[in-house]
Amino acid sequence: MFFHPGANTDLASRLAGAITAIFMIAMFFTMMRTGTTYRWRRWFFVSVGLLFPIGFIHNVMVMRGSMGIPIEEMIAGRTPFCFMPIPLLILPAALTRTVVFPGSIVPGGGMSGHGIAEMVGLWLAITLVVGKGWCSYACFFGGIEEGMAAIPKRPKIRKLDPRWRYGPWAVLLAMVLLSLALFEPAYCNWLCPFKAVSEYVAARNTVGLIQNGIFIVLFGALVIVLPLLTKKRTQCSWFCPFGAFQSIFNKISIFEVKIDQTRCKPCVLCQNACPNLSLSKESVAKGEALMSCMKCGACVDVCPRQAVVWHIKGTEVAWKPERARLLFLYGAWAMAVMFGGSIIAQGISTILHYFA
Amino acid sequence: MKLRAKLGYTAAGLTVLAALLTPFLLMGMFAKGIVALRLHVDEMYSGGPKVRIFEHGAYSIAVHRAVYPHMLQTEKPFVQLDWSPVNALPAHVSDVVDIDGDGQPDIRVSFDVPKDPKAQLRVDVEPIDQVNQVSAKYQAMRNAGKEKYSRLIVRVDNSILVRVPLKKP
Amino acid sequence: MRPHVRYLSAFLGARLLGYLLFGAVAWELGKLASLLPGPRLMLMGAVDVSLACVLLWYAYSARQICGHSCGDSKLVEIGAKKNSGAVGAAALGLLTGLSLCPPFVAAGIRASQLGSVVAALLFFACFFVGTSIWFVPLAGMGCIVRNQAVITVARMAMVLIAVYYLLMGAGLLLGRKANGY
Repeated sequence: MFFHPGANTDLASRLAGAITAIFMIAMFFTMMRTGTTYRWRRWFFVSVGLLFPIGFIHNVMVMRGSMGIPIEEMIAGRTPFCFMPIPLLILPAALTRTVVFPGSIVPGGGMSGHGIAEMVGLWLAITLVVGKGWCSYACFFGGIEEGMAAIPKRPKIRKLDPRWRYGPWAVLLAMVLLSLALFEPAYCNWLCPFKAVSEYVAARNTVGLIQNGIFIVLFGALVIVLPLLTKKRTQCSWFCPFGAFQSIFNKISIFEVKIDQTRCKPCVLCQNACPNLSLSKESVAKGEALMSCMKCGACVDVCPRQAVVWHIKGTEVAWKPERARLLFLYGAWAMAVMFGGSIIAQGISTILHYFA
Repeated sequence: MKLRAKLGYTAAGLTVLAALLTPFLLMGMFAKGIVALRLHVDEMYSGGPKVRIFEHGAYSIAVHRAVYPHMLQTEKPFVQLDWSPVNALPAHVSDVVDIDGDGQPDIRVSFDVPKDPKAQLRVDVEPIDQVNQVSAKYQAMRNAGKEKYSRLIVRVDNSILVRVPLKKP
Repeated sequence: MRPHVRYLSAFLGARLLGYLLFGAVAWELGKLASLLPGPRLMLMGAVDVSLACVLLWYAYSARQICGHSCGDSKLVEIGAKKNSGAVGAAALGLLTGLSLCPPFVAAGIRASQLGSVVAALLFFACFFVGTSIWFVPLAGMGCIVRNQAVITVARMAMVLIAVYYLLMGAGLLLGRKANGY
């Protein structure tokens, strides 16, 4: 509603907008007041994760009566574009100028009226600001498993093989190669767990049924069950190829998490707190997080010695870390309000309209 | 403060500026940049550009350029034909179409146009016998629905699209 | 410099010969299969499943990193005294040219579907050129293939792609459509 001129301005929509505005201001105020980040960001992020499917599924049901995308919509270029296939589109586009996604490129096209160009433009802008902080402030799917991971007090599975951290890179490599070979968005067609809470290609034969079955199994395992058992964002840490792609942008992002070695007494609290397995014994010894760090703030908040700090590249580690945190949060929260906030508002508006 | 630190803070400040400018400037700028790359959606989805239009009284038949699969795509090559507007079509359509524009009819396409826009469509396509030679270019279709991208009949907005697979050379 | 050029030329020349031999055989098999439209899909399905098995085997067998140099292999020493090891290099080249690595098998499938044996040979000649370019920078990249992260990612990716080819191959063998739409 914030950035959709001409969107609904009835009472329910205005109320949804007001609730969202108050919520976002309250969360930011609390982050400033308490000096902590993770818990309040998580409230926002889980809200986005829960409300996005509500608003999105409602929209597709109203427009076509089903979560399944019929082939007619794909031919018409009205498949809603999600940021997940962005890394898969790069090589075919670079080699043949072809976008292997059944959407609409120009602004004004697609189901939402935004088109692929606008969504890619939005992704690029957010990524320039927050790097892989996308996975903590913008991704509209990650909040579901972050919410699941927050439910149990203690993990039931504690020992996790660190090699699973390479899973997203393997999925990225496989999907990029398959997408280039088959000229289709292979991840969307075969492996995206979030098809279970958004939309999927309407199955016409056995292969289609197998594809939809894979989505449901992956969603159940990676987004619901494993986060409950491990208290980790397992889909993000072990599987999401877009997360691996975003990790590359951590190399150019000006913000990062560092560890002040003069204060650190390796207690592994930060490693245990990290929902993304982005801190290892070796990386802590080096004084830094791995490139998969999502900048969620969990490690910073949990460190009893304030050894884990926000950091701006080029500056001294632990010199005025609160300044670094604030500069990061101003940008990240602005993005969160713009993108996540509109998702929250739409979800609340959908619920209010249902009860109105 | 060292130069590196100054540059770091400057870059950090610029990200805040970038965040504020995103909805008003950056997003549109980047989107225009993407559009300027002159990319196009894969023709397997879009059907390819139109190359000729035949008028048939109240409706017209648009012929698209033949689409060929890329790399290891599993689809067959096809040509798409559009009948529009749907509300001007008779209850049963049986048209002879010259696809390659050489003045000779290539195929006959037959389908019913149900009143219900959500009803399932079915199409028959017969390659036309030319001087006792069956057309070598186009595959026949019998009671085909929407089986795959390269072989279907669907209604999209106010047009009925038929995709006829090409035979292998 | 000259001996290295000799080794490399012998290696690549024999590798090209291996590629062309495989291309010709693949086309003949494809021609045979095209005469029998029924079994053609079965053959494609069987090759897809075989490719999946090859990928899974590679993923499993790469669990140990080769940390020692291969310079003491007897294969390398063939003809070393008479013609400075060129025969050994050629033998290695021929064997690597014929080895059924996954992209090689996929290229074989593609070649088997082409219109003539000349087209198949040309396809493999181009495949050779495309893959030989990578020899130049790889000479100095031994450290990468011994990196644990790279090997783990490669193994996981091979398993994923193998599962895809397994599904596709099984679908063809069972007579199902290979397309979800």
